Amino acid sequence: MKARMKDMMRVATARLGGEQQAGASSSSGYVRRDSTAVRTTRLGGDSLRRQPQPQAPTVRTVYCNDRDANAPVGYKGNSVSTTKYNVLTFLPKGLFEQFRRVANLYFLMISILSTTPISPVHPVTNVVPLSLVLLVSLIKEAFEDWKRFQNDMSINNAKVDILQDRDWESTPWKRLQVGDIVRIKKDGYFPADLLFLSSTNPDGVCYIETANLDGETNLKIRKALEKTWDYVLPEKVSEFKGEVQCEQPNNSLYTFTGNLIVDKQTIPLSPNQLLLRGCSLRNTEYIVGVVIFTGHETKVMMNSMNVPSKRSTLEKKLDKLILALFATLFMMCVIGAIGSGVFINQKYFYLGLRGHVEDQFNPKNRFVVTILTMFTLITLYSTIIPISLYVSIEMIKFIQCTQFINNDINMYHAESNTPALARTSNLNEELGQVEYIFSDKTGTLTRNLMEFFKCSIGGEMYGTGITEIEKGGAERAGIKIDNDEGKRSAVAIHEKGFNFDDARLMRGAWRNEPNPEACKEFFRCLAICHTVLPEGEETPEKISYQAASPDEAALVAAAKNFGFFFYRGALALGPRPKLLEGVYTIIETNPCKGYMRETEHLLLRVIWEQSKTSVIPIITPDRIPVSSVAFDKTPHDAGAIEVALTILRTPTTVVVRESHVERMGSIQDVSYEILNVLEFNSTRKRQSVVCRFPNGRLVLYCKGADNVVFERLADGNHDMKKISREHLEQFGSAGLRTLCLAYRDLNREQYESWNEKFVQAKSSLRDRDKKLDEVAELIEKDLILIGCTAIEDKLQEGVPACIETLSAAGIKIWVLTGDKMETAINIAYACSLVNNDTKQFIISSETDTIREAEDKGDPIEIARVIKDTVKQSLKNFHEEALRSLSRMPERKLALIIDGRCLMYALDPTLRVDLLGLSLSCHSVVCCRVSPLQKAQVASLVKKGARKITLSIGDGANDVSMIQAAHVGIGISGQEGMQAVMASDFAIAQFRFLTDLLLVHGRWSYLRLCKVITYFFYKNLTFTLTQFWFTFQTGFSGQRFYDDWFQSLYNVIFTALPVIIVGLFDKDVTASLSKRYPQLYKEGIRNSFFKWRVIAVWGFFAFYQSIVFYYFTAAASRHGHGSSGKILGLWDVSTMAFSCVVVTVNLRLLMACNSITRWHYISVAGSIVAWFVFIFIYSAIMTSFDRQENVYFVIYVLMSTFFFYLTILLVPVIALFGDFLYLSIQRWLYPYDYQVIQEMHRDDPHEYSMVQLPETSHLSPEEQRSYAISMLPRENSKHTGFAFDSPGYESFFASQQGVGVPHKPWDVARRASMKQRQQPQRPARS
Amino acid sequence: MSSSSAAAGTSNGGSVDAGGAARRNTRMPKYSKFTQQELPACKPILTPKWVVSVFFIVGVIFVPIGVVSLLAARDVVEIIDRYDEACVPSNMTENKLAYIQNSTISKNCTRTLRITKEMKQPIFVYYELDNFYQNHRRYVKSRNDAQLRDAKKPNQTSACEPERYTADGKPIVPCGLIAWSLFNDTYSFTRGNENLTVDKKDISWKSDREHKFGKDVYPSNFQNGSLIGGAKLNSSIPVHESYSALSYVVAYACRRESIVHVTSLSEQEDLIVWMRTAALPTFRKLYGRINIDLKQNDTITVNLLNNYNTYSFGGKKKLVLSTATWLGGKNDFLGYAYLIVGGLCIFLSFAFTLLYFIKPRLVFILISAAITMISVGLTGNWGTTTTCPGTDTLEAAKAPLGTP
Repeated sequence: MKARMKDMMRVATARLGGEQQAGASSSSGYVRRDSTAVRTTRLGGDSLRRQPQPQAPTVRTVYCNDRDANAPVGYKGNSVSTTKYNVLTFLPKGLFEQFRRVANLYFLMISILSTTPISPVHPVTNVVPLSLVLLVSLIKEAFEDWKRFQNDMSINNAKVDILQDRDWESTPWKRLQVGDIVRIKKDGYFPADLLFLSSTNPDGVCYIETANLDGETNLKIRKALEKTWDYVLPEKVSEFKGEVQCEQPNNSLYTFTGNLIVDKQTIPLSPNQLLLRGCSLRNTEYIVGVVIFTGHETKVMMNSMNVPSKRSTLEKKLDKLILALFATLFMMCVIGAIGSGVFINQKYFYLGLRGHVEDQFNPKNRFVVTILTMFTLITLYSTIIPISLYVSIEMIKFIQCTQFINNDINMYHAESNTPALARTSNLNEELGQVEYIFSDKTGTLTRNLMEFFKCSIGGEMYGTGITEIEKGGAERAGIKIDNDEGKRSAVAIHEKGFNFDDARLMRGAWRNEPNPEACKEFFRCLAICHTVLPEGEETPEKISYQAASPDEAALVAAAKNFGFFFYRGALALGPRPKLLEGVYTIIETNPCKGYMRETEHLLLRVIWEQSKTSVIPIITPDRIPVSSVAFDKTPHDAGAIEVALTILRTPTTVVVRESHVERMGSIQDVSYEILNVLEFNSTRKRQSVVCRFPNGRLVLYCKGADNVVFERLADGNHDMKKISREHLEQFGSAGLRTLCLAYRDLNREQYESWNEKFVQAKSSLRDRDKKLDEVAELIEKDLILIGCTAIEDKLQEGVPACIETLSAAGIKIWVLTGDKMETAINIAYACSLVNNDTKQFIISSETDTIREAEDKGDPIEIARVIKDTVKQSLKNFHEEALRSLSRMPERKLALIIDGRCLMYALDPTLRVDLLGLSLSCHSVVCCRVSPLQKAQVASLVKKGARKITLSIGDGANDVSMIQAAHVGIGISGQEGMQAVMASDFAIAQFRFLTDLLLVHGRWSYLRLCKVITYFFYKNLTFTLTQFWFTFQTGFSGQRFYDDWFQSLYNVIFTALPVIIVGLFDKDVTASLSKRYPQLYKEGIRNSFFKWRVIAVWGFFAFYQSIVFYYFTAAASRHGHGSSGKILGLWDVSTMAFSCVVVTVNLRLLMACNSITRWHYISVAGSIVAWFVFIFIYSAIMTSFDRQENVYFVIYVLMSTFFFYLTILLVPVIALFGDFLYLSIQRWLYPYDYQVIQEMHRDDPHEYSMVQLPETSHLSPEEQRSYAISMLPRENSKHTGFAFDSPGYESFFASQQGVGVPHKPWDVARRASMKQRQQPQRPARS
Repeated sequence: MSSSSAAAGTSNGGSVDAGGAARRNTRMPKYSKFTQQELPACKPILTPKWVVSVFFIVGVIFVPIGVVSLLAARDVVEIIDRYDEACVPSNMTENKLAYIQNSTISKNCTRTLRITKEMKQPIFVYYELDNFYQNHRRYVKSRNDAQLRDAKKPNQTSACEPERYTADGKPIVPCGLIAWSLFNDTYSFTRGNENLTVDKKDISWKSDREHKFGKDVYPSNFQNGSLIGGAKLNSSIPVHESYSALSYVVAYACRRESIVHVTSLSEQEDLIVWMRTAALPTFRKLYGRINIDLKQNDTITVNLLNNYNTYSFGGKKKLVLSTATWLGGKNDFLGYAYLIVGGLCIFLSFAFTLLYFIKPRLVFILISAAITMISVGLTGNWGTTTTCPGTDTLEAAKAPLGTP
């Protein structure tokens, strides 16, 4: 445990190198500039709105540890509530929410109408179904809200230590106030946004986990101000009187500006000192902080705005259907109303129309009669709008998501232990209609498993491996390549991040190469210029590297294998801590392992004897160079400690164990002093460090994207540049990811003067990041190229097959990547998106004309040239594409465009051409695109082509694209969670798209189409019978059915079966769905929810309603049965209603593709429910209500044979038409799925169990990949070149108005879950 | 339909759970037939075989039912006599309304009916009205069931507008338009000299009589207004109380009604029948029964009082004598419907069989070919390395489908 803790600390401290860290917190400046630049060229009609910038610096002043001083300001408390309702507001607000649905509002109005005398029906007719629907919805709302409330309560009542009268006191979170000083213990959660004062760790650092914010589980470092380091113990802390002036609460997670005024000294604050609510403390005994923002004003809560939910296209079309129904309703009412105006006449003396007659029937005022009858009929025909449709669809979709998608074993990824997750239930059926997929490349198509594969040093290429892509290319060219595993040389090493085979470099052999100096610089650059943290034992075998991007880890691992073993970071820069007064006791010393000779280290723990508690580690300096301390084991050597602490503060160093440098076989540990780190970000596309060699040499090492580095190279050595460029192209075409390495020697004066500017920029309060960038430009020039690296990016399992299946399903796949064009094209080859027969249209900014213009350097001219080029090629290619399509329609076309050209192509004037061209291509590859461009492309197709789009990605840079498309899919199971948090569905592997789309999406689409059309049919049928009756009642609006029949029709007698169908209907099995991807095209074409389909249902509804009405009405004229008695209106209507219920339920069975026992139960149950109901209902007679109408009706009916004959005849005749239609349709014009059904009619049932791989019997290959997946994970994704930081990207996204939705309850839920799990967490110390 | 149940898969369910439990903390979804959407199901496919069989079976069932129903309907003898035109005196055919509204003109009318076929008792006497909207909303709701049922609630006259109160504000029992417009034509029959008694008992449904109309509810203030809609009911005062024999006799004499002993609503069967409102504007109501067999070629003389005003709205009035079978009156609609549907089904089953043999799913194959073409179009160009799994199978499937 101790060793582990020590490692962790070292990891952490190394990270601090150069004060900046993670880049996440400090890159907002670039972001803003960058996004502005892009925005000017944004799509005209683009919906990506901008969010407000962080607020103007209105200052919030917080007096630390002084409640009275803070009181007048009236800051909000720390209690949070994420509930939508409370006890009082639940009903009004919940109802209000419900009535925002048009259908509900409509029924409310109808219900109100039905209480007036013009209504033909009792209010119960409309009130009952409405209240049932509302009840179901409200119960659901209440249930969800209750869960949220419980979460809130557990969070609000969580305990935290707060400083009260020089001692810690446990208080619930909700009692916290701004300015309070709190203590957070290890693994605890921060209850509010805190200003970090001090920690038990040395140097005032602490480690936090931000999993609740961004899902990343890697630890981040926060560092307290040096001034406040001492305030650890309560006695001391209570003396702390500071004043914090900072920005007002805002939602920007990665920015914070403010000042701490303590002892009349103003110290600037940065995000580094801010501990955000929701994060948790790790590897730190405890920290002390001041509450700055509380409750809903914390940044995480401010971020929790509701993202507008997506609606599926099907539902939008459903709206049109509902509108059509309204139109039908209106027409029916108009016809009826005019009829009533014409009909009403005094000659019908029995209607009592003489004398005083109410307006509705007054023949003297036919106009008023018409108008009022209109309302009457609207009330009567209200059943045409299916009231329970929306709630049924909601239920169906909810169950589909939670039970089917989330539980699909086929979509469970055993290696990462991740099942699929539907994060929204709105879009299930949208998955069945996707036509365009926009896919990120890295981490989505590829594994994000980077392996150092090749390199080029000083113009010489090393590495003999052959990539999958090269193999594929060779195979396409007809060359057979053997599996090279056996042929590898003895020195080949294949470990995580390193898969390199070239004897010329291994084991010091590089000394014999033509350019050993360059090799040395190359390796040093790899070993020094990075932000990787070593973890684990400091041996080459056991160490593991934690890096912001897997590329970096691969590079450092490569350096290690070349004999430049980087194993230790260094302490942060900073003056020594002040010694606390008191007597120190060294209780433990711990000389470290043997191989460290020159700098043997000690672990020092100190006891403060006066402390009441037993052991308080005040400072745990973990290293004291032995040579400097006369160290003996005498316990009371305070002087030694003083010395130790003095020496402790060495400048930031990176320690590299270099082998073979001086001579073959020599090993020496070299400490490089890191003076400055110039961080990577996607604007700079490069990273530099300035370091001082032990001999005083000052060097700047830089690595970055080729174009960026080449721009900054010193003149001369053109051959080397040219050769390197060729190598880069070769690497690119082999699908490898490249970085250029360069260095520059600095002299002292040069550096000193620059460092001054750097420090100035760093301490500036405004635009710090921008200024840092500018300063960096000053020194990153005149570089000398060392060489370049090539890293292999492994394809994910099953990707080519999946893409092939999806293509066969008629889905077009676009790859949007930040990689360079060559890499992207080759990944496209590898994924079978493009092949040799494909005609490629390449629009690249890397053409001679553009280069020429660039050389001149006039930005306006460059822009003009590029725009012209893009315009010209778009026009030409589009024409060519159309020609090709007309001449050789089977030929595949592919468009490849890079981000820079895309920027111009997305210009409103060129967009039409771009869209036309890209839609006529079968696949499109966009490379070097920014996250914003990804989103722009997605919305170009979504809005421009009105096709259904799906975006899939894994990283923060895909967030905007995921949110822009109709359906957003995140790749889960990896560490980064931002894509998942923004997505609608999360799957672990790209290949699961097959299941998600072809199985779940298709079924879902099929089922919902069926449900909707069936709802349409059953309500139309029912209402039309009423309509026909109206014609024979003198258009009076007399109801045909009893009130209760009508009110229960939708909610009881026909409710359940359709839900069952929505859940279980299945045309072909899952395996057949995947075997015949062509079936999916029916969804793309929207074959099942066309107006034609609806018209067919409508026609049969019309036909059936006529059958129901006239066949039963014919009964009323004659006596039925030997008693000769005559049936009345209610007998006839009850008979008709029975026929309707029976038929409509049976019709559903006819529409089913598969009938489970639940179908039988629900259909039979519904029919039985009706008869049970009518038996009871017509047997009782109560004094209220109008049920005398139907008193004993069913018994009267059942006493006649006529009833039985009718109830057999009418459903058969009614279904006769449907049956005939269905048989002819299937026979002569079958749908694709029907063909497949018949082909596989006799197949035995297939069970997924059969296909399921036995998890215990993995093939060696699988075991290896499993083992790899179990290795410590890289924590972040990247775009483009090599590395990137997620914080940066999400900030980028939020600036573009597509903020990552941090749902507060998500955070809260996870927080509460973790708290419950805590007892099981093994103690780390 | 082709249902294949799935016993094979059931044993597999348990093994995975065991395997899953072995690895700790797995988030692997538990297998269940429900969540994996593998519930055993029958898959009905409307293959031509099934279509033909279903049609055939339906036909085979329906034709006999149709024949039986039709035979039953054929057994019924029905004699219809429209008398509303004929009973208007020849001098008033131009102004029928004046005729019917003039109470001084005698409404007596005599019709003779010839029995075309022997009629076994009971012979049901119906009157049939046309263009009479008993289902009009204003009409249907114009009643109060509570009042009809409960003697204590004579004042419950809501919904009875405009026949709610008399001019002096007393509640009418039974109130409402339906009761007010009670049909008041009367018929009596003679065969030669023989008086054919019309039995007016048990012409209403028992449930109505016993539960909807109270035994102790008596009409009051009924048809007292200026405007008389239809028949009057017997006076509201019960016989056994202070009701003089004289007035009873007078009432009897005036009304010339059939014999009335007790006058509570539950025994006013004409009213009860009338108040079970008809579904359509053309309807029949049972008037009574003649419990004597009528021979073929018998001549029946009908003495009727043509009181009821259908002339204002041009409604027809018909007198119907009909026998009934187990299926009821002369309604061959049901029989024909069964026969036609059954016949059609058998015809279709033959037609489909014929089609099936002559053109063995020619179109079907064309469609399969089209699908194949499409899939080839999509996948065919992918070079040698790629083939779509579906394409081959579809093509392969073509051959067996070619032959029935």
